[in-house]
Amino acid sequence: MSLRKLLSSTTSADRILFLLLLLLSFSGILFVREVLPGGRTVQIEVNGRPAYVLPLDKDRALTVEGPLGKTLIEIKDRRVRVTESPCHNKLCIQQGWVRSGTIICLPNRVVITVGDHDKSTTVDATTG
Amino acid sequence: MQPRDKYRIALLAAYALGLHGFESLLPTPIPWLRLGLANLITLITLLLYGLRPALMVTLIRVILASLFAGTFLGPSFILSLGGGLTSTLAMGFALFAAERLFSPVGLSIIGALFHNIAQLFLAYFLFIQRIEAILLITPVILLLGTLTGAVNGVIASLLINNLKKTAQKIQNGN
Repeated sequence: MSLRKLLSSTTSADRILFLLLLLLSFSGILFVREVLPGGRTVQIEVNGRPAYVLPLDKDRALTVEGPLGKTLIEIKDRRVRVTESPCHNKLCIQQGWVRSGTIICLPNRVVITVGDHDKSTTVDATTG
Repeated sequence: MQPRDKYRIALLAAYALGLHGFESLLPTPIPWLRLGLANLITLITLLLYGLRPALMVTLIRVILASLFAGTFLGPSFILSLGGGLTSTLAMGFALFAAERLFSPVGLSIIGALFHNIAQLFLAYFLFIQRIEAILLITPVILLLGTLTGAVNGVIASLLINNLKKTAQKIQNGN
């Protein structure tokens, strides 16, 4: 029995099921990140030390001072981005808006993490 | 149950066990990805002999494989048992509730789907309990399961056709 003959022996229910599952999983892979609840807080580390823990749902912009100079960070619509940085390659700026995960600027030693940070263990939100 | 049926179940379970062991030796790009080759035997048993023998073959395979691997009653045993039984029941239901609606390929895809659904539920309720992690991984598992399920279904149909041909030849006295 050839493969072609075999494939023609599949029923239409088989094919519909197969395509439906493929469609479902592909759209799932594409969209599940959008639906997921992101983190609730943003933690900013400068020079290896946690400097700020800020709520993600309050829009604000702040400046932190790293070894190279000032890094400008913006929180808006439950997302974070770096708007200005004194580093050379500007990778942190190119990364754009982040909902979950981290933005790292190695040259200026700034690490921004979105997640659920326990406020009691670090410094409360303060003004920049 | 006739002694002949017992021999059949034992033989089929041995095949399934062999495939189960073989596929755990195969390197896969993702550690928890399994090809589901053992499900081939379950599907063939289901199609040739019915739901009860298929369930028994699955049970024997899962229990013996875990005993050999030393994971009996451990997390991977629970996942394996839940997935195996659910997928066998789902395939049996699809076969007998809607006869001729699905070919072996469709049945195999259904088996893979329910295997994965059962394992994701078990993993969530028993071990992980982080809905984001489960949601993130579900579509990937669904995709891989559909693909491997379809391939296994094709292999199962080839095998069954061959078996039927051989049986006919034997009956005709060749």
